Amino acid sequence: MKLLVEKLWVRRLLSLLTLAIVWELMARFGILNPFYAPPPSEILRVVYSLFAEGRILSHLEATFTAALVGLVIGVALGIVCGFAAALIPLVAELLEPVMMLLNAIPRVILAPLFVIWLGIELPSKIALSVVLVAVLIFFAVYSGIKDVNQLLVDRVRTLGGGRMILLREVYIPSVTAWVLGSLKVAVGFAFTGAVVGEFVAATRGLGYLLQFAQSTYNASLTLGLIFLIMAFVLLLFVCAEAIEHRLLRWRYRGSVEKVA
Amino acid sequence: MLRVLDLVLGYGHEPVVEKVSLEVSGGKFVSLVGPSGSGKTSILRAITGLLTPRAGHVELNGSQESPGFLFQDDALLPWRTARENVALGLRIRKASKITALTEADAWLNRLGLEGFGGRFPHELSGGQRKRVAIAQVLVLKPKLLLMDEPFASLDAIVRTRLTQELLTWVEREHLSVLLVTHDLEEALTVSDTVYLLSQGPRARIRNSYTVSIPRPRDVLTTRQHPSFAPLLERLWKDMFDEAGPARFEAMK
Repeated sequence: MKLLVEKLWVRRLLSLLTLAIVWELMARFGILNPFYAPPPSEILRVVYSLFAEGRILSHLEATFTAALVGLVIGVALGIVCGFAAALIPLVAELLEPVMMLLNAIPRVILAPLFVIWLGIELPSKIALSVVLVAVLIFFAVYSGIKDVNQLLVDRVRTLGGGRMILLREVYIPSVTAWVLGSLKVAVGFAFTGAVVGEFVAATRGLGYLLQFAQSTYNASLTLGLIFLIMAFVLLLFVCAEAIEHRLLRWRYRGSVEKVA
Repeated sequence: MLRVLDLVLGYGHEPVVEKVSLEVSGGKFVSLVGPSGSGKTSILRAITGLLTPRAGHVELNGSQESPGFLFQDDALLPWRTARENVALGLRIRKASKITALTEADAWLNRLGLEGFGGRFPHELSGGQRKRVAIAQVLVLKPKLLLMDEPFASLDAIVRTRLTQELLTWVEREHLSVLLVTHDLEEALTVSDTVYLLSQGPRARIRNSYTVSIPRPRDVLTTRQHPSFAPLLERLWKDMFDEAGPARFEAMK
């Protein structure tokens, strides 16, 4: 029987646990100033009370709505634009410079602009998420189509496949692989967009709460929120990975014994 | 079956291939040999329509279906299982899914891949992938087969075995074949006619050779036939004369 310690996730968990314990002890023995670095137990208590009082729910709802709606629109927009640019030269000429520019800058600097244009409610957060995600997916799709294995294209053509068949059998599966490869990054980006948007100006959301915690010098609330966001993003990562493995079965299915 | 007339390929003022003519009549095995870079692959691509010739033309007679093309690399769709890959051509020809998959399974069994149909290409060995690629082409029952060094990437044992299997099949079904290779011995072993292409650019057909060793042939014993060694020597000599000593060394 395998020892529990030999498993990777156990060792990872142990390392996190060790960090938490050391931190806790250091705070208790006064080596760390709890005003700046409150112990994990205190952070847990704050997080717990946020849920117990139910105050957090409307904030969670705001952030999740912005992030998930932004993610969906961003992915869709990226796919459509990427396909259009790869297949229609004129679209590529029009889109590429804009996308390059958006790709070159830290796109979160657009947040204040979206607040001016769309107000401090949800739409400005969604817009920021969309911009963050769409540019990422656009390049995944665009370069994905351009780098499609030409051998496969020739193969399908010599078997008699026309444009529609090529699209179905070669292009869409290739692009799916590329998009799913970027999905985890996209989830992170969508949350960045939502939280940063709320940071800039909002009345609800985890970003707004963070901003509030910072302005009141509440380190335990700040840390609690940071951990909360980490937990949620990790959860979505797991979901994204499950989707990736399901749809890319042909890549991930366990290798079996090979016979010549 | 197949006739290529005065084919010119390439761009710019120095074409890769200049005025190449060759013929594959029904049931004949024809090889096209020549040094690397002489445009052998381009000629095959022009025959299948993947490449538009600058001049000359390609006549495909006697078969309504397009020729089967066996590539150098086994370009199987990685997201399709072996049987789906084999069934692809039939599906493109509007066969029902069940018919196509049944037919695909039959071909996989015939090629010794029984039980491997549900595997994805990355779950197969190089030899197995090559067999799937062969099944993918043969399932369409082409009368003419075009092959571009199909077994180049395989190790010697698998390569010899697959060459023999394919040769036996071609002889039994009276298929016409145009094989492109730089392996002179392989070409002589399997062919009725061998065309020698000169060094490119401006590659031309330099000579053609008739191999009158009786069929059915065995890949190993054919090389011991009395007419084999003299033919091979002539072929090497012509290639040597063609390229000149320095270029000959370079192309080896």
